[in-house]
Amino acid sequence: MRSTFVIASREVRSFFASPMAYVVLMVWTLWSGLSYYFFASLYAMNGSQAGTDTPLSSFFGGTILFFLPQLVFVPVLTMRLLADERRSGSLELLLTAPVSEVSVVLGKYLAAMVFWVALWLPSLLYVWITSRFGAVDMGTVAASYVGILGIGVYNMAIGLLASALARNQMIAAVMTFFFLGGLFLLGIGQYVFMDATRDILAYLSVWSHMQDFSKGIVDSRDLVYDGSIAVLALFLSVRALAARRDAA
Amino acid sequence: MAFNTWVVTCAAVIHRPRRSGGGIHSGPRGLSMSLRRVQAWTKRASTKRPRQFGCHVIEVSGLSKRYASRLAVDEISFSVGEGEVVGFLGPNGAGKSTTLRMITGFLAPSRGQVKVAGIDVDVDPIGARRMIGYMPEGVPLYPEMRVAEYLRYRAALKGVPRREVSSAVERSLDQAAVDDAADRIIGQLSKGYRQRVGLADALVADPPIVILDEPSSGLDPNQIRQVRELLRGFAGQKTVFVSTHILPEVEAICERVVIIHEGKKVGEGAPHELRQQFGGRHLVRLVGRGSLEAFRRALADVEGLREIVALEAEADRVRGTLEVDPNSDASEHVFTAVAAAGLLLRELHVEEASLEAVFGELTTSEEQADAGADVDADADVEERDPGGDPEDDSPEESV
Repeated sequence: MRSTFVIASREVRSFFASPMAYVVLMVWTLWSGLSYYFFASLYAMNGSQAGTDTPLSSFFGGTILFFLPQLVFVPVLTMRLLADERRSGSLELLLTAPVSEVSVVLGKYLAAMVFWVALWLPSLLYVWITSRFGAVDMGTVAASYVGILGIGVYNMAIGLLASALARNQMIAAVMTFFFLGGLFLLGIGQYVFMDATRDILAYLSVWSHMQDFSKGIVDSRDLVYDGSIAVLALFLSVRALAARRDAA
Repeated sequence: MAFNTWVVTCAAVIHRPRRSGGGIHSGPRGLSMSLRRVQAWTKRASTKRPRQFGCHVIEVSGLSKRYASRLAVDEISFSVGEGEVVGFLGPNGAGKSTTLRMITGFLAPSRGQVKVAGIDVDVDPIGARRMIGYMPEGVPLYPEMRVAEYLRYRAALKGVPRREVSSAVERSLDQAAVDDAADRIIGQLSKGYRQRVGLADALVADPPIVILDEPSSGLDPNQIRQVRELLRGFAGQKTVFVSTHILPEVEAICERVVIIHEGKKVGEGAPHELRQQFGGRHLVRLVGRGSLEAFRRALADVEGLREIVALEAEADRVRGTLEVDPNSDASEHVFTAVAAAGLLLRELHVEEASLEAVFGELTTSEEQADAGADVDADADVEERDPGGDPEDDSPEESV
């Protein structure tokens, strides 16, 4: 247990010691600031057309502006985790220390979740700004953050799995991009297909998932979905790490 | 140096006819002969080294590792006793790093078993790793961290209790002589410093077993000496297993050597015993004053003297090279014989066959060309420049 935290804290410290952390955070903050500004001014101009939508509900998952950057930022945040250790050879030092593969994977995962949370911390500012100019339903906001955490739980696990499989961090990033992009596309399928296919695709869709959360609906099926993908990906990461011992 | 080369050449010439049946692999005669000698030696050694090292701390039995189509390690067995400092010697690509990785549990063996302090590495990998401080080849570190920060992280990872982390880090910084770099960023350190940070890492949890892969590569002569002194100082306290291809290093620090070649164990023993066993000719060199004739007469019938290899006059001096019986006190007899003849002796020294000769003999096969190709194929695993050693550690005895 202690080794998990030791690994996670080293990972987090190294991340925030690297210039990449600040480049990523700055670009992300710019992007989300712009998209928040866009929604805020849109609803300020046409308040009557908004219906049940608010600037915050649109920001948290109403449009593609929420999902598109994640396809880039998740791979960038997770690609180094294990692939870099493998490339530099420091994986040998890590795995010859008295720690299990499970604690290595959990430590890296914990660090990735810290990155994810760091990504969303600035968005609390938008909640505060909005609350100064109108009524904000804090319950809805809390539900949105639960949804974001749920997305992070499985996005980061998938990124970590790609990083465990690939020797090269660019390959890890591309794998994560295609996997998450594929899931996103499947989700769009719910507007294309009918009947059972539609239901399955709706269940897989991050989009409808986040639309519910951003309106304050916490659907436990979505959380189960996030959790099960994460557990599967983490399990496969542990297996990938263990299988390396037998390979050349 | 020139002499060593000469001995190697001699050994090769002397042994070539014997191995004409084939190389060290395929030639049943050549291999079985040297193997029998090794076995005979090992038997003697085990009776000679009775209870000094009670239990075997590292036990490797029948260890093999197959990479795709290539057998990198082939049925290696050896053991290291408690408190011993043992060298693991072999040319590049012989399978040293692969063997060390199997001992430390980083790679799973294809066949065979490794026990560390009585723990089967396959059954309880974490328990076994707890006993080992390991420095891998090339010393991969996190370049963005500071030295002391890195060592604190490693100490915590290895389960050093929170309160003892600081003192453990300080001790290891001191042992590896990197205390002056404690606050520097690893990525900005020279190779020699990084190497020693790796060493500090191996020592930080104060493990009973220390396994080092090529510890002196990238170090300057002074640093090499420091590392050797440190390792020598561990004798009797820690079990040290160190891989190298630098022969003087083995002579300087190891009580015992395991030699591997192309994945197979080809020799095992104390350096001096291996030298006696495989070292080729033992020579005595002398410089004296007197006539060539007088020297020739005086040396005519000396006990233990096999052959006068060379004897020549040079101004008023005489220089000679004599081949002697390795197990006799021939140099003393030469001294008394020369003195008895009333001649002056200016220099007399025994030139023991070097471990290089042993190494050359054990790791030179008929298929050198093939071996060369193998080394290339393995270059990603074992890439090291030979790291010439400026010190001349070849033991000599002066009278």
